Amino acid sequence: MRLIKCCFTIVALMFLASPGLHAEEAYLNYKSYCMQCHGMHGKGDGVNVPAMNILPRDHSDNKYMMSRTNTEIYKVIKFGGPAINKSVKMPAWGDTFTDEEITQLVGHIRSLCCEKELVRGVNFR
Amino acid sequence: MKHLILLSFLAVVISPALASAGEDGGKILRAQCASCHDLKGPAPQTIRELWKRDAPDLFYAGNKFRREWLVQWLQKPIRIRPAGVNYLRNINSTPPSNQNTKKTGRKYDVLWGSVTKPLKHVKLSRAKAEAVADALMGLKPHYSLVAGVKLDASKKVSLDQGEVLIDKVYGCLSCHFIEPGYGGYTGSELYTAGKRLQPEFMLSYIKRPKNWDPKIWMPNGNVKPDDLQKIVNYLILLSKEDFNASN
Repeated sequence: MRLIKCCFTIVALMFLASPGLHAEEAYLNYKSYCMQCHGMHGKGDGVNVPAMNILPRDHSDNKYMMSRTNTEIYKVIKFGGPAINKSVKMPAWGDTFTDEEITQLVGHIRSLCCEKELVRGVNFR
Repeated sequence: MKHLILLSFLAVVISPALASAGEDGGKILRAQCASCHDLKGPAPQTIRELWKRDAPDLFYAGNKFRREWLVQWLQKPIRIRPAGVNYLRNINSTPPSNQNTKKTGRKYDVLWGSVTKPLKHVKLSRAKAEAVADALMGLKPHYSLVAGVKLDASKKVSLDQGEVLIDKVYGCLSCHFIEPGYGGYTGSELYTAGKRLQPEFMLSYIKRPKNWDPKIWMPNGNVKPDDLQKIVNYLILLSKEDFNASN
């Protein structure tokens, strides 16, 4: 009986801990790949920006980001800017990230722009 | 006269070998380079491992570099990646007081720390540089990645056409310099790529960077085969420009 309880606790802990782990991985990926253009705080002010004729998206811009669905953000990460009629300066990261990692990145970007909406449980589609 | 020509020919062919005679390149590599450079591989397989990288991996140097450039660079090392090998260590979100924010009203992350100073790297004598270059050129574990890859010199482009490909079509300029001070900071400078790198390496790396460095922050640009040839021809053409002349 004790063994069953133990197993149950471990499984429950795994479920509870996994979103945290995913968030950490997503943060690490964002920091490593996206930060060079989108900036250390996601404000579209990365170190490479001065050379760009088209500015990267400010991920903390709540008004703009709320006008985009999760599907669009997923598409732009996987297939690049042209996939949603945006600039080629946003490259396709589909060969770098797995589909699951892209989904986690979408979640991370939502945490930068739309924390209030996340708490309210808004459906970003 | 014939003897003279033969002698000069032999001098040209043999002199590099003589220059490096007596120096053990492998020994110098192990003693002076191995503490920062990875000479054995494999390349980092996770992002955490990648961030531990202090200097470029050299375990496939023979598949990557041109020997003559290595000899030159080892005698006079200069920085190739403006933001360093690990850019995350070298940027800061606090702009310096001299950053001009009036023009655009925006502030950007800035380079910070050691990359704002000249590169600190071991300098070698010509004989040692020759020996080390020989040892590096012997490191060729990725033969399969360049096998069958060949530069098509007929796919030529002008400097202007090449810049359009690099900037407008594939967006490489966002991360790479195409002339001193012009371009993004986090990639390696492209205006010396043609001198530094073997054409086959450039073709293979641009096609799929992940094959060489699984977690690197250069994306696969899905470059069309024709454009790939044009880009590499452009990089070779660009490297022949004398950028010091205009400065």
